[in-house]
Amino acid sequence: MNLWLTLLTKDLRRAVRNPLPWLIHLAVPLALTALLGLAFGRGTGEGAALGRIRFAVVDEEDSPLTRLLRGALNQGEAARHLEPEFLDRTDALAQLHDNQLSAVVILPPHFTRDYLAGRGPVTLELIKNPARSIHPAVLEELLGVGVTGLNALARTLGSEFPAWRAAFEQGADYRQVADLIRSTGEKLDTLRRYLDPPRITYRRETPPAPESPAPAARPGGGHNLFGYLLAGLATMFLLFQANTGMEDLQREFARHTFARYHTLHHRLLPFLAGKGAFVGVMLLVGAGILFGGGGLLFGIAWKHPLDLAALVAGFLVFAVGLAALLAALIADARRADALGTLIAMALGMAGGCAFPPESLPAFLREHITPLLPTAWLAQGIRELEFGSEPVHGPLLALRLAAVGMVLLGLAAAGFRRRFARGLRP
Amino acid sequence: MSLLCVERLSKSYGELRAVEGVSFAVRAGELYGLLGPNGAGKTTTLSMIAGLLRPDAGTVVVDGVAFSADPQRARRIMGVVPQELALYEELSARENLEFWGRLAGLSRRDARQRAGVLLEALALHDRAREPVRTYSGGMRRRVNLGCALVHRPRLLLLDEPTVGIDPQARQNILEFIRGLQREGTAILYTTHYLEEAETLCQRVGILDHGRLLAEGTLEALQERVGGDRVYVLEGAFAGADPGDWPGFESRFRLLQHTDRQWVVAARDRGEPAECLRELLSLPVRVDNVLLKRPSLNEVFLQLTGRELRE
Repeated sequence: MNLWLTLLTKDLRRAVRNPLPWLIHLAVPLALTALLGLAFGRGTGEGAALGRIRFAVVDEEDSPLTRLLRGALNQGEAARHLEPEFLDRTDALAQLHDNQLSAVVILPPHFTRDYLAGRGPVTLELIKNPARSIHPAVLEELLGVGVTGLNALARTLGSEFPAWRAAFEQGADYRQVADLIRSTGEKLDTLRRYLDPPRITYRRETPPAPESPAPAARPGGGHNLFGYLLAGLATMFLLFQANTGMEDLQREFARHTFARYHTLHHRLLPFLAGKGAFVGVMLLVGAGILFGGGGLLFGIAWKHPLDLAALVAGFLVFAVGLAALLAALIADARRADALGTLIAMALGMAGGCAFPPESLPAFLREHITPLLPTAWLAQGIRELEFGSEPVHGPLLALRLAAVGMVLLGLAAAGFRRRFARGLRP
Repeated sequence: MSLLCVERLSKSYGELRAVEGVSFAVRAGELYGLLGPNGAGKTTTLSMIAGLLRPDAGTVVVDGVAFSADPQRARRIMGVVPQELALYEELSARENLEFWGRLAGLSRRDARQRAGVLLEALALHDRAREPVRTYSGGMRRRVNLGCALVHRPRLLLLDEPTVGIDPQARQNILEFIRGLQREGTAILYTTHYLEEAETLCQRVGILDHGRLLAEGTLEALQERVGGDRVYVLEGAFAGADPGDWPGFESRFRLLQHTDRQWVVAARDRGEPAECLRELLSLPVRVDNVLLKRPSLNEVFLQLTGRELRE
């Protein structure tokens, strides 16, 4: 234990004296999290994972109906998700070009007349900002829903529209408007029994696993797209970073400090374990930034933080073990780095970190992916936090750590062989 | 009793025989030099003794116990100073010394105390807290040496510890090593500097192409050449063939010859004046004659047919 602590202290001191590489190590998860946040929006609290979507509405008609539609955007549920700005076309496009808006929706002139008269298709214009990845797409979907709703309304209340049109265009007194509202309301009332309660619906249900009655007590998954993505990205990132961190082993070998250690100690495993512990500490901080920062940015409430921490810690043992083995087997540091990156990518892809495992080829999905520690972590986090399958975090963490320890042992044997054969860097 | 005993040590890298059947012993309080040119097998030999390289054949016995029987015990007895600077450059000299002391099993307090003593002895105390990367080459060499001494090894393996430093720094290190030897440390010292082997070591082993060609005290090695003197003749020797001169080869050995210089040793302990007279009477033009004690270079020359400096 003393030996291990001495080695760990030495590396921490070295990191303090030469902090730049490790600051970069910590900056990468910060940058990654910030990048994801910028790409997919920012938000806090339940249901605000996307943040409010800022867009412009250009009302080229400015009629009572369009004012009614504009007003609806600032009401209730819509106001929580949308941040409409009402501008003229020039200002709206200028702001769009300045990347201040996600999109511009243009209500054309004569919108009311054409819609209520049923004159051909009325075309709303949507100009999307390609620099705002997901928000314009969400707006497009919302506009699609809105248009579908307006079409449905036109089909259902078509007979009422001439009267409404006359009221909008020629003006109407309160009595006439009240009559219109009453007759439209009566028509809508006849629809109530079709709409409320709905005639057909569905219920989502997940059968409990046979060995565990626990799901009944679980609050239910609640899928979170960003959490799902973050689990995979974090897994790959930790693997890459472990590889980079453990490059210090190659440096110690090249600078003969590892050989000097070997002149004092026959066993090489403590040296590797010390290095692994140091890199592990750095990566734990990085993982904290990723999962903590990701949670804040995307409003993910990690429901099982202890299990999650155990899983990440177990995976870190695996990651440093794998990186140490590569360093032991490949004498050339640059080759080891390149190969390590390739292996990390392959393990990440095949482990379902970059794509959902369901989209992997069947053979890979059924026979290879379940054997990969990357899949154990990524899928473990997904199931633990958002899934309905029970996950025993500590047990999975132990399995990961055990694989890591075996790899570290193999790395020690690899380095012993390198020393014995006199291989020089 | 020998603290280090090396028997028929061999190591090959493919076709290359780096070390072949090397045997020697180092006693407690003895400074034994392994002298040889670059690529002679000195570092390979030392690495096998230190347990870094696995020998193909042969044994290393440390304090009466085979290294392979108890490698950790042997490692505790030894201190190894590698030719390369095996230091953490971000750390200070004190931190390096304390770290290697702690790794060698010293308590925190002992490591700190020993580091203080060594910093003083190696004249590093003034800059003990500065990072090693700011040190001069000589200072780094001294830290490199000190790191192997923190745990008070009884056997010290030094692999060319003065390579690449200025004469003053070299003298400081050599003086420090003499002090260690006087205190009773057994020292195995590899070098390709003749002067170091001649002035520092009590016994010298001459290594070339992986084989130990000769070993012994400086006097014993000089004896192999021609007693305590050789004659350096300068003149015009182009085309001269000593085999044509009756009696020359029975009286002298030609150790080295060029068109301008011959190095000659007498085969017996004849009077120098008599030898000089005979040499000056040879049928060649001799401009100058120098009488001197044979150096290890002449020994090496006699053993290998070439100079150590070549």
